[in-house]
Amino acid sequence: MKVKGFLQDVTGASRVTNARRKRISSGSYLNVYSDPIREVAKEVHPDPFKVRVVYVTDASPTARTFRLVPCEGKLPPFEAGQYVSFQDLRIGDTLTTRPFSISSAPFEARSEDPFFEVTIRKGKDNGFVSNYFYNEVKEGDEFTVEMPFGQFFHEPMRDAKNAVALAGGSGITPFVSMAKEINHGTLDMNLTILYGSVSSKDIILKETLDSVESDRVKVVHVISGEEDYPGEKGFLTAELIRKYSSGDTTYYVCGPLPMYHFVRGELAKLEVPEKRIRMEVFGAPVDITKADGYPECSAQTFRLTVVRGVHEDVIEASSLESLAVAMERAGIPNNTRCRSGACGYCRCKLLSGEVFVPAEGDGRRYADKMYGYVHACSAYPLTDCKIKIIIK
Amino acid sequence: MNFYKDHYDVIVIGGALAGMSAAMSLAKEGKDVLILERHNLPGGMATSFVRSGMEMEATLHEMMSLGLKEEPLYIRKYLDEMGVAIDWLRVPEAYRLLSHPDGIDITLHAGRRPDGTWVCADEIDMIYSGTKDEINRLLELCRSVYESVLFLNEHTLSKLEMLMKHEPLVKTAGYSAKEVLDTAFNLPEAVKKILSAYWIYVGQPISTLPFTIYAFLMADYMMGGSFVARGFSHEMSVAMAEKCEELGVQFEYGQNVEKILVRDNHVYGVRTSRGDEIHCDYIASAPYPNTVYGKMIEPQSEVPKEARQYANAMPMGVTNFSVVLLLDKSPEELNIKDYSVFSSDIPFDTDVFWEEGKKIGGWDYLTTICLNYANPDCVPEGMTSLSITFLPLPEAFLDLKADEYFEFKRTVAKEMIGRVSKHLGVDLMEHIQEIEIETPVTMSHYTSDYRGGIYGYQHSMDNSVVGRLEDLDKEFYIKGLVGCASHQLVGDGMACNINNGRIASKAILEWMKEAES
Repeated sequence: MKVKGFLQDVTGASRVTNARRKRISSGSYLNVYSDPIREVAKEVHPDPFKVRVVYVTDASPTARTFRLVPCEGKLPPFEAGQYVSFQDLRIGDTLTTRPFSISSAPFEARSEDPFFEVTIRKGKDNGFVSNYFYNEVKEGDEFTVEMPFGQFFHEPMRDAKNAVALAGGSGITPFVSMAKEINHGTLDMNLTILYGSVSSKDIILKETLDSVESDRVKVVHVISGEEDYPGEKGFLTAELIRKYSSGDTTYYVCGPLPMYHFVRGELAKLEVPEKRIRMEVFGAPVDITKADGYPECSAQTFRLTVVRGVHEDVIEASSLESLAVAMERAGIPNNTRCRSGACGYCRCKLLSGEVFVPAEGDGRRYADKMYGYVHACSAYPLTDCKIKIIIK
Repeated sequence: MNFYKDHYDVIVIGGALAGMSAAMSLAKEGKDVLILERHNLPGGMATSFVRSGMEMEATLHEMMSLGLKEEPLYIRKYLDEMGVAIDWLRVPEAYRLLSHPDGIDITLHAGRRPDGTWVCADEIDMIYSGTKDEINRLLELCRSVYESVLFLNEHTLSKLEMLMKHEPLVKTAGYSAKEVLDTAFNLPEAVKKILSAYWIYVGQPISTLPFTIYAFLMADYMMGGSFVARGFSHEMSVAMAEKCEELGVQFEYGQNVEKILVRDNHVYGVRTSRGDEIHCDYIASAPYPNTVYGKMIEPQSEVPKEARQYANAMPMGVTNFSVVLLLDKSPEELNIKDYSVFSSDIPFDTDVFWEEGKKIGGWDYLTTICLNYANPDCVPEGMTSLSITFLPLPEAFLDLKADEYFEFKRTVAKEMIGRVSKHLGVDLMEHIQEIEIETPVTMSHYTSDYRGGIYGYQHSMDNSVVGRLEDLDKEFYIKGLVGCASHQLVGDGMACNINNGRIASKAILEWMKEAES
């Protein structure tokens, strides 16, 4: 066997070794570390950062909009429809987090005076955090947030240019963000918002919605509880959806859980293909015992052992609440973002015990199911349990 | 509240394949090991994600050097030895190379027959007749180099013994793949192109790719074939993480190591972003030497100038740009017939592809993987899992701005989807149900790897594995600190990283022995 000749062949190893030594000896002795790609990554996906409330305004008789600015530096770019996660919310003895869709537009977050807004209705999700925001939060308050997250946005490579938004209650917020971005000329889509409310006075962000109507944005209020309402009445039915759809359309759904079930059925009647339906995650079920497949058992309190590194805590956990909520009540910091079982940020190992995971909130990977990992925000104890979580 | 012990024998920074392998090997020897992983999942890039309830492989991922159960190769042997059980699925074909400008369209399969002939030699001979003897001779040479590399992985030999027992390895070590293919074999240009298609799995054009690496790769892929885990790469990563913990390794997620603490040229601990200072005797580090010496070592005065010189001189390897798709029709309906396709839109030339990787977009050499054909249950019935990948150089992205980021990724992805659509004669844009675009920024976000690099340093002729091995012991610039990822000896790839981890653990075990005596 030869390549070029015996001598040249057998000295090849020294040749490459010397070439490498020569290369290394050409290197600078100075610290020239620079990683511009890392800098972009940090700007696009920043670590949790501090924001301050600069403005609070009524968005309806029961909802308020909070404008927030970064305490220092910039806000990350985001897509209209994405959410922000408020971290480290301390309410009484509880330490919790909450996701809220961003109701302001992406361009406003990247302007000279960057800000973003969330619009929160009191009473939402049992009202624990939303009431706190509605009643307590005022100008000057500071929070730690992480953003942006979520898959609920217009993806031009996937979604039709014509969109119909099916919104209920505070589920209107991501569409306000989209509408503003469209009118700003930085989001190329046509949006018709069908917004279901019980009564006309419940409409959240009414004035803003009036102001975003344009040649590309149409807003239709659909009122279910007012006999004499002059516009569209009733629910977001197939008939109504058809009336406001034209051609190839993507449907975006955001609202309370019962609305999802209803709208899903209506879209099925219209034979809308799966890829034309985009659903925002819907939060934890209000009553887990009503979830499909929940075993017959009475409400009780279990012992939950929480392992963090070499440290263990034993706390109480109600069968009616997720493992994440049990930890929050005990003041144990733990990672949650979407609180719907989808994002997997609260993934943790179930070391012992049994939990119930509702099918609708089971965003786990195949192997995680196999190896007994759960998403703490979407796992409900059925026995005493032991879990290992991330040290936060 | 204290979450850590007062002291560990070893801290492993980064719970990816190399780190977990190092930790398993060390824990098996009774060492007290802590893994600190910044993400909330194990595996680094060997991972998956879920969209609308469907799991998606993060990018193209294949495990090599497994071999069949009956004829296990070294990675299968290692995983068996460690007790890591993974549900492997063998991928159907090695690859299809599609290069219309060259008139090439051929599909090759792995397999070596008992008489020493290779399946793919016959497949090529069917089209380019009279070439099979030379191809068999080439692949036998590759196999011989492969066997030698594995032997030397476990043993040390004198130069004379090397030449006596590993002549093919020694005699080809000084040449690039191109030199050996051009000089030692009589093959038509088209066949040489066909046999160079895998260059992208090292990310080095064959003119500067050491033949040693080329031979190892060819033998590995063409002998045993490659595998994917039924539960995506995440299954493999979780199985290894589980085993680490079973062996007594403390594995903590969500912990970003910011500083490596050094005193008198020896490491003694780390500090995390959370503020924990944790002490140890040894550290295996996934962060690149550039990051370690550039900003992690504390105090910076402890960084030897030779270490900086080394990091500054190392040629950065490729990064990743992938479009990962779930499509709303079956592969058959979309005219997708193959698991793995390398496609070239210009006459096949790895030097040209390499140059294209220094700019954003306009990439003529794409790798398209349809996971359905390896793992039919990876998506719901009637759907297709497809990824399209190019491996550009980080330097192409150094001027990228955050404000342009969303638009930039879509523009490039669109172009890539367009090229593949053209080959298929089907507009994939009409069938996208889920799409994720992975860029160097994505790599950097999840792993913090230097400049989003995925393959460590280049396997170039002036950074050859032979030269790396020769000087391995000289390049531990700070005592107790060893690199543990694709920037180390063996380079990139999942199997290679398991090996990099084992090499790191060996170095640490040797130091421990020295310290005891």
